[in-house]
Formats: sequence, C-alpha cells, structure tokens
Amino acid sequence: MSGAHTKFDLQNRGLLEKMFEPPAVGKMAPVAKIVVYSFLAIWSLFVLFPIYWVIITSFKDAAAVNQGPSYFPFVDFQPTLDAWRINFTADPYCDMAAIARQLYLLAHNSVAFVLSPVVTIPPMEPQICKIYLAFTNSVVISIISTIFCVAVGSMAAYALARIQYRPKFGNIMIFVLLIVGVILATTYAGVPWWMSSAVALALFFFLARALGRHFKMSLGNGDILFWMISQRILPPIVVVVPLYVMFQAVRLLDTHLALILLYAVANLPIVVWLMHDFFANLPIELEESAQLDGATRFGIFWEIVMPLTRPGLAATTLLILVLNWNEYLFAVFLSTVKVQTMPIMVAAKNTGEKGVLWWEMCAVTVVMIIPVIIMAVLLTRFISKGVLLGAVKG
Amino acid sequence: MSYQTNTSQPGASPAGLSSSDRWREWVDRHAGTFFIAPAVSLILIFAIFPTIYSMVFALSRVRFTGDGLKFRYVGLRNFEKQFFGSSEVHFLGRTEPFSIFGMLVFAVIVVAVLWWLYRSWKTATWVRMLGRSISAAMAIFLGYILCASLLSGNAIGTLYTTLFYVLVGCFVQFVIGTGLAFLCSQPIRGRNFFRVLFFIPLMVTPLGVGFAMRMIADVTKGPFEPILGVLGLQDWVWSASPWSARFVMMICDSWQWIPFIFICMLAALENVPRDHVEAAQVDGASSFHIFREVTWPQVVPVAVTVLLIRAIEAFKIMDLPNIMTGGGPGSSTESMTLHSVYVWRANDMGSSAAIAYLLLILTVVVCASFFNYVVLGQIRKTRA
Amino acid sequence: MTIRKSLLGLTAGAMALVGAAPAAMAGEFDGVTVNILTRPGYVIAGRLVERGVEFQEATGAKIVVTEVPYAEIFPKIQSDWSTGTNSIDVGVFAAGWGVELDAAGLLEDLDPYIAKDDKIDLDDVAPYFREFGQKVGGKTKLLMVDGDFQMVYYRKDVLDAAGVQPPKTWEDYLEVASKIHGKDMNGDGEGDFGSCIFKKRNAQSYFAIQTFAAPIVQTQGTAQGFHFNNATMKPIVNNAGWKKAFELYKETGKYGPPEELNLDIGDTRALFKAGRCGLLVEWGDPGPLQLDDDATAIKGKLYAISALGSREVLNRATGELVPVNNVNAPHAIDGINYAPFAAFGGWAGAVNKGADQKTKDAAYAFLSYMNQSAQSSVDVTIGATGYNPYRLSQLSSPDLFVKAGMPQALAENYIGAINGALNSLNMASDMKIPGAQKYTSVVLDTELARYLAGEISVEEALENIEEGWEEVTEDFGRDEQIAAQALALGS
Repeated sequence: MSGAHTKFDLQNRGLLEKMFEPPAVGKMAPVAKIVVYSFLAIWSLFVLFPIYWVIITSFKDAAAVNQGPSYFPFVDFQPTLDAWRINFTADPYCDMAAIARQLYLLAHNSVAFVLSPVVTIPPMEPQICKIYLAFTNSVVISIISTIFCVAVGSMAAYALARIQYRPKFGNIMIFVLLIVGVILATTYAGVPWWMSSAVALALFFFLARALGRHFKMSLGNGDILFWMISQRILPPIVVVVPLYVMFQAVRLLDTHLALILLYAVANLPIVVWLMHDFFANLPIELEESAQLDGATRFGIFWEIVMPLTRPGLAATTLLILVLNWNEYLFAVFLSTVKVQTMPIMVAAKNTGEKGVLWWEMCAVTVVMIIPVIIMAVLLTRFISKGVLLGAVKG
Repeated sequence: MSYQTNTSQPGASPAGLSSSDRWREWVDRHAGTFFIAPAVSLILIFAIFPTIYSMVFALSRVRFTGDGLKFRYVGLRNFEKQFFGSSEVHFLGRTEPFSIFGMLVFAVIVVAVLWWLYRSWKTATWVRMLGRSISAAMAIFLGYILCASLLSGNAIGTLYTTLFYVLVGCFVQFVIGTGLAFLCSQPIRGRNFFRVLFFIPLMVTPLGVGFAMRMIADVTKGPFEPILGVLGLQDWVWSASPWSARFVMMICDSWQWIPFIFICMLAALENVPRDHVEAAQVDGASSFHIFREVTWPQVVPVAVTVLLIRAIEAFKIMDLPNIMTGGGPGSSTESMTLHSVYVWRANDMGSSAAIAYLLLILTVVVCASFFNYVVLGQIRKTRA
Repeated sequence: MTIRKSLLGLTAGAMALVGAAPAAMAGEFDGVTVNILTRPGYVIAGRLVERGVEFQEATGAKIVVTEVPYAEIFPKIQSDWSTGTNSIDVGVFAAGWGVELDAAGLLEDLDPYIAKDDKIDLDDVAPYFREFGQKVGGKTKLLMVDGDFQMVYYRKDVLDAAGVQPPKTWEDYLEVASKIHGKDMNGDGEGDFGSCIFKKRNAQSYFAIQTFAAPIVQTQGTAQGFHFNNATMKPIVNNAGWKKAFELYKETGKYGPPEELNLDIGDTRALFKAGRCGLLVEWGDPGPLQLDDDATAIKGKLYAISALGSREVLNRATGELVPVNNVNAPHAIDGINYAPFAAFGGWAGAVNKGADQKTKDAAYAFLSYMNQSAQSSVDVTIGATGYNPYRLSQLSSPDLFVKAGMPQALAENYIGAINGALNSLNMASDMKIPGAQKYTSVVLDTELARYLAGEISVEEALENIEEGWEEVTEDFGRDEQIAAQALALGS
C-alpha cells in the first residue's frame, strides 16, 4: 500500500465521502453508524424471525394457524400447550421417567451386546414413547460419537504434526487393488466377506513386505493430511447404500454402534483439520524436554499437549456435537425402528392426513433446535477468541 | 506402510527391563502407528471401501430377493441412462432445440477454455496438463449443457439445479456474508452479541430450517400473507413455478449458511493489522478505499478458502428441498443427492449409485479446479 | 410354624390356580413385542396405537408402531425383510404391494392361523376385498383394516345454490367446477375453489389420475384392466384415452387452489374441512370426516358419487376414442361408461415370515383383533382414523353411520355410493403385480408431476411412462408379470 500523502485529495471530496468520513481515527461518522446499525438490525431480524415463528407456532392451535397468520401471543392468539401435550404425553408410554428408563435400557442392551459371545442376555425392548426414544437416541449417539471422533482425530492430527510418515505409493496401490478384489469376489463370486477380507489382508502384508523395498516413490505427511481432510468432499449419498449392505452383513443395522461409528468417520476430516493446526502451532520445546525426561509419546500427548489446546479442543468438540445432532441422511438409511433420532422423527411428521399439523411439528422442532442453539452460543465464545481462525488460514 | 520416526527414543533404560516395561517401550516405539491407525482404519473401512463398493453398485443391476441382494453386471448402462436414456431430461435437462444464442455462447466458452489450455501447455508438466485437461473437459461439458438448456430457453435438470445452488448460492452467501462481516468489523458496540446471534442459523438442524421456511413461505398461512396481499401477489405460489421454487430454496439455504461465511470473514477482517488501516485513515482515505486497497488483499486467501469449503458443503444439499417441496414442482428443485435418494426409494440401487458417483466426480473436479487455480494462486500471491 | 407355613403355601397355590384360569388369556403374549411399520400421522397409525393398548391389556403383547414417510414404507419393509434384519414384524401398507413381497417369499401365510381363530369373521368381509385384497395366490397373506375406493364428493348446498346437477362424467365435473369456482362456500367472504385434488408429487396424485383414466380405458369388466394388454404386458398408456385423462386432470387445476401442485392429501383435507372446496376426488374418508368437530362448515353437506364416467371410450385396436355403445361398453349406463377405481386397494397388515413364532402368533392375533367386526365397525365411522368400510355388515345399512351422527339421507347416499362401486361389474382394480409400487408411485407419478408442472408435454409424459413401465416389466421378467397379472385380475 502506498503511504503517499498526496494520494488522497482532501479538498475535492464528494458528498458521499464527506458523509462517511470518520471524525477521528478508530471512530465512525454518525451517518455511517446509522447505516451500519440499521443493516445489522435488519439482519438480526432476519435471523431471529424464523426461530421466533417456530417457537410461537408450537404454542398455537389449529384455528390460530389455519385462519391466517398470527404474530404475537396473547395479542393475536391464545397460546396453548396442546401441541406439547400431544407430543409428549398423549402416548401412554410417555412420562417423566421415560428417559431414565431408556438410558437404563441402552446400558442393559450394550452390556448384553458386548457379552453376547460369552453369555446370552435377551435385549430389552423400548418401553417409551417415540419422542423420548428419539431424543435419548440423539443424545446418546451424538455424545458418544463426538467423544470417539475427537479422540481418534486428535491422535491422528497430533501424529501428523509431530511424526514423519512415508507410506510407499506402491503399497497403497496394492492395497487399493486388493480392496477391489475383495469387493468383486464377494459380490460376483459369492465368497463370504470375512474370508475374502482375511485373505486380502494377509496378501497385503505379504506383498508389502516382499515388494516394499522396490518402491521408490513415497508420500509425506502433507499428502496424508490432504487425503484425510478431502474425505469431506465425499457426498454421503455415495456411501450410504454400500454401508447399508455392509452393516446388514454384520447384523449391525438399526443399532447405535453403527451410527456412532459412521458419524465419527463423517466428521473425522474436520477434527483432523482443526486440531492439526493447533498442534502444529504449539512450540515443540515443551515436548522435546518431556521426551528427554523419558515420557512416552502418549504421555506427552495426554498430559502436556492436550491441556494446552483446551480451547481449541472444546471448540472442535462443540462443533462436532452439533453436526452429529443434526445429521439426517445416515440415520434415515441405517435405522428402522430402534435407532430413530430426532431429525428422523421430525421428518416423519412432514405428512399427515389432517394437513401438516404445523403446531405439533413446531413443538418437536423446538425440542430439536433448542439444544443446538445453546451449543452454538457456547461455541461462539470460543470462536470470538480467534481460536478457529488459524485453521482456516492454514 | 513403512515410516520412520525422527524423534529420539525416550530415555533408554538399561538392560533388565520388566516385561511390562518392555511392552510399554514397544508400544511407544510404534506410537506413530497406534496414533494414526484408528483414524486411517476408520476412513478406509467406512469411506474408501464403500466408495469403491458403490462403483460396483453403479455398474450392476441390483435386486432384492428372498436371500438378500443379487448383482447382475450391466456395464455402463446405469450411467448411459442418465446421459442418453430415459433419465436424460431429468438429469441433464432438455438440450434441444439448441438456440443460436446458446451456440454462440458455447463457441465462446470452448475458445476460451482451449486458449487457456494452450497457454499452459508451454509451462506445465505432464501431471499438471492432465489435471488441466480434466478441468477443461468438465468446463466444456458443463458449458454445453448450460448453453443447450438454459440459454436456449429449455428446462434444466438436476445437474444444473445442483450447480445453481452451489454457484449462485455461494456467490450470494459470500457477498452478504462478507458485507455483514465488514459491517461488524467496524468499531461498533455489541460486536460479540452480533457474532453470537448471527452464528445461530448455522447450527440449526437443516430439517428444522426446512420446516420453518416452509411454514413461513406458505402463502395462505405464513406471516407474509398480508404483505403479499398488499402487493397484489396473493395468488402467487412460489412452489408452483420451477424458478421461483429454486430461488426460494436458495434463499432458505443462504439463511442457514451465510453465518459460516460471516464468522470466517469476520475473524479474518479482525486480523488485519489495525495500524495499516489507521495510517490510511490518517492519510484521509475513504472507507471504501481502505477496504479495497488495505483490507481486501489481506483477506483474499481466507476468502477463497472459505468459498471452497462452502462450495464443498453446498454440493451435498438435500434436506432443504426434500422437506420444502419434495423435489419441487415436477423435479425442478431436486439436487443430485435428492435425485439419488428418490431413485433409491424406487429400489433402483444401480442408478442411485450411478447418480451419486456422477455427483462425486462433479464435486471433485469443480472443487479441485477451484482449489488449484484460485486458492493456491491466491496463497502463492500472498506469500510472494 | 411349619404347619402354618405349609397352610399358607397351600392357600397361595390354590389362589394362584383359581386366579390363573381367566388370567391365562391375559398373559398369553406376555413379554412379546410386535413392531409395526406404517405411515405417519394419526391416520392408520393412531388407531393401531390405541387398539394396541387395549390389546396389551388383554393379552400382554406390546404393540410398537413406527412411522416413516409414506414413500419409504415399501422400500424399508422390503429391505428389512429380504436382508433378514427383521426389525419389523408387521407391515401395514397397500394391499396391492403384498404381491411383490410375497413373490420373494417374505409374507407369512395366515390361513393356518385363521383356521384356529374363532373370532375372525372373514365371510363378513366384502368379497372383493377378501379375494383380491387379502389373498395372494389363493392364500390369505394380509388382513384388511380399511377398504379403499376413490369417489367424487360434492357440496350439495353449493351445487344447489348454483343450480347445477351433480356431475356424471369428468367433462361435467369440469363444467360444474367452473360454475362454482370463486363462490364463497364457507361464508367467510373469500372466494373458494371449484375443485380440490391432491396433486403433489410423491404423494397420492397418481391415484387420482387413474380414477380419471379408468372409465375411458376399461370397459369390459374388472378382468380387463386398464394398464396393460394382459396377454403381452405391453402398457396401454400411450394413446388417446390416457391422453384425455391427463388433459382433463390438468384442466381441473384451473378451478383449484393456486398451490394445488404442492398439496397432498392432508392439505386438501384441511381445505375441504374448512369449507373451501366445491368438488373433491377422495377416498371414503370425507364421509365421516365431515362429522368432525373442526368440520362444522361442511357437516352434513358433503355428498358422494361412486364414480364419474366417460361418454367416450378407448378403442384399443385403433388407439382412438369412440363414443360409447353397447358393444364397446357393455356395462355402460345411459351412454356413460363407469369404472369405479379401487385406488390403493385398502390398508392391510402382513406378517413377516422371518419373525419368530411367538411374535408371529401375537402379530396375527392383533391383526385379527383389528379386523374383527366389533372393532372395525367402530373405527370406520370415525373419519380421523382413515379406516373406511369394507365389511358387508358395515355396508348393508346406513344405521352404523346414522348412529355416528350422519343425517339419514347423507348416510344412505354415502353407503349407496360405496356399494355402487363395490357391486359394479366394471370396477377398476389397482395394480397388484410385482413392481406395482414402481409402476405407479414412481414412473407414473414422476411423469405426471412433470407434465402438470409444465416441464414436458402430455405426449412425452405418456411415452416416458410407457418406456418406464416396459423397463420395469423387463426387469421382473415379462412372463412372470403376465402370470402375475392374470392372477391379480382373476382372469
């Protein structure tokens, strides 16, 4: 930028420029202030209005909705708790203890599932109404999947920031070819999937060892990072149908485990991308001195590095939590009865033979979006500290 | 994979280690593998493997029978159906008659692309030429479809509906988002309040946004009904005409995604060193000048990155058109993902996978091209 | 001490035995859960939930009803049952869809259960539904909960005020609609609509178009069908008959709500209950629906016509339209050919063959409970349930509906309309062959929606439908489809 004083002609300014001229450095002209604040106010209205509309519609009844729009509670219409009542208490199994029962059931079934090779415990059937079922499912799946995703992603990001990898390109090609072989064998030749996978895995290790030294070209950390982050480009629709078939083959359809794993993978690129930036920006001296003191890698990671990146970690966790909560496509394909999450339940209310019951739908939508709004507010406190910007710049 | 660690070994213990110590040491020596193995395995099993598997679906006719799925290899027939067969108008749009205007524009596009290719011929390596040829081919193909369908006055298909959401949507979102960020980066009070407030739409479940927007856009029961009445538009139904439906869809999508651009651009604008700006102000520059000469060049790298990220997400749009119009009047608001879902519902999994793959190819080529030529170019410029 | 203890024990045992006798039935299905998948909303599903609670009190089986969007019912059930996932035990869906599931061997044969069941009264089920709805390949695989015909309804008061007669043909329908369109039909000062039809894509629009096409294309009785040349399974859609149906269907839009293309059955029901529609194409629900609390604007005013006909019919040899005469339309009345369309065939429940036996027993018992006259006759009088009459006892006299609150004349008209459809020899049957869902709700629905939206011309739409149907037929195997069609139409 040229700092020449003569560049700006202070005398011959247009009226518009004069109006917006700041009175002092770091301040705004009054006209400018009005313009800026009014635009911001308009946009704030634009942001808040749909949410406001959803919330007040959940308190309306049929007449208030169908006879034209009503805008203010107590002024235009009488708020009622009808929609809330119908959704949350009309079903005979809906009551306050429902969520507690469902959590206990989930724990019971998980234990049964884990112990199933050893002892057969019959799984408990859900005893609660749909909305609580969906809510508990959403909560459980989001939280567990987020923890899992952040854990795995942070470890990978840390490793990519501190350890040099040099995978041989040839080995990767062999691996891809073996995958193709497994798929062709299983679909067209009818070989059971576990057999073809086991054979392929064995072949891979054998070939990698035998031919590895002949391969010259290798990839570096940057390539691996790019590969991981670019998984985000993959449209989920490409993988849902094969995933459906895969999960069905191992009898994991309509289970929580399937969705937890899937959500973790879907958001792994984001975690790796964000956390890699934090780790790369940490000064390496701390870790080096810890190493000299004899700490293990994992010890350094857990005790030194993670606490340093706590704000970034928190921001990432919140972001992933929200993304998992909102996820729809995978849930719709991989769940039938037991694992319906909130978005599916809300989507199922989209048609009704009494007209779309807007007020009921809004009640459920409110339950779905209030938690994320709270999480969003929390998240912005981290973002305002410039925590996530570094990743974008990188 | 073979790798080397370039870190020194942790403090070596003398001989006579206990077995648990030895085990710990072995784990630590292979820490590199253990750290990265979970992530790599997850991605391999749940992303790479299904993607390749999906190709098999796309090349087969898949049937549900009493004992599960049966595959019958049919080669490229599912893809053919999208380009030349019964699904062509649905996917590509109507491409005839090809108007004169369309032909002219297409000619211009072809010439421009070929000239760009020729110019890079001299300075590029084989790999780079290959990449550029792919981009050029995609550009020519998309240009052809555009000229033959939209510019010739014909209806467009799901391919271009998706591109509409991506290109026009991202552009609108970027302009408004950056504008908002610029406004917020002024010395105003309550900046954090606005930041929090404007961030909320991004986090709301897309389904919820769809419902909310559907209610609000309803012409008889929505809140705009009196306004429409005043404007004499009470019989206008946005959902009955293809283009108005697409525009409304884009507006609703923008409601949700402008916050993303806003947040990133605001952070970028806040990081512009204040002394440059203040020096320019002291010199008497107008705000507009300051923005154009001082702030914008510093912010461009972030801007194009943000645009790229937004575009990647935009290609996947599905929830909104599904909820608001069920694909629109006819099929006019169907994005390619939605198209694939509807075809899946008809139990034609082969075609569904084929459409999904076409979306993948489109996304990868467009985003990679944008990344290589624009983003990298900007980053190189700033580093220079 | 010990004597007292043993005495106590004896008494307790005796009491248990005594108490056990009636309780045996009560606990018959204790600990069994039956998972039912069906459409969302109160309609159909709501009643299953409510009756499920009664059933649980009576037998201990827990009924869990899961709702998925209408378009996903069939794919979800098919993938769940054919992949062996078996999360779902009972599917409640269109009777016609059962054929494809049965062809893959997924439906449990219910005849053995019926033989042991003394409460079920299948003779009371109208023959059409019993033979064509519940049976597949001669064996009972489904149990009806609802019988479906598409009929036309009109606001008697509005038509009387305008001085027009109820329509007899679809051309009449258009004329009547044009005369009453824009009149205020519910006294709120705003103009209302001549005709309301649910034309939304991925909803129920593809049934309405078949109601329009049937009387033009089918003349020789139910066994003739109006979709295919039964001998070769070549589609007979690309001709002047279906073309006329499409054009008539599109023209009704001139007298309908502006957003008709985005209205599904829920939206149109809200409209006519608010009194805003003069003519309707609907199933049996509007009859009892007008008795609802929120339908005061139309209570007692909605009359039914079993079917509208056509004065011209399709000459299949030439592909052209010809006026009705005794030879080409032997079932015509007064020069008009009628073909009431049994759209959808009715909601019915089928049991997953892959479920375990106890669950299947409980599932059958529940479906039987829903089907039995005692329950069914209550449910069909409540419009909101979505269940329409299908049993002879419900259709033999209007008393059931008069008791529910209908005026005598209206009840007679309503029952008369349904009986008129059921007893018609030229009743048009919904598709009941493998791929039925694909032929209609995918191919036909998509092309129809695009034609209505103005994306393609009617000729192109019909061509695309013909091509799409041929693809489906080839996919399932032409010979298999010919055999299935013969079975479906009872020829």
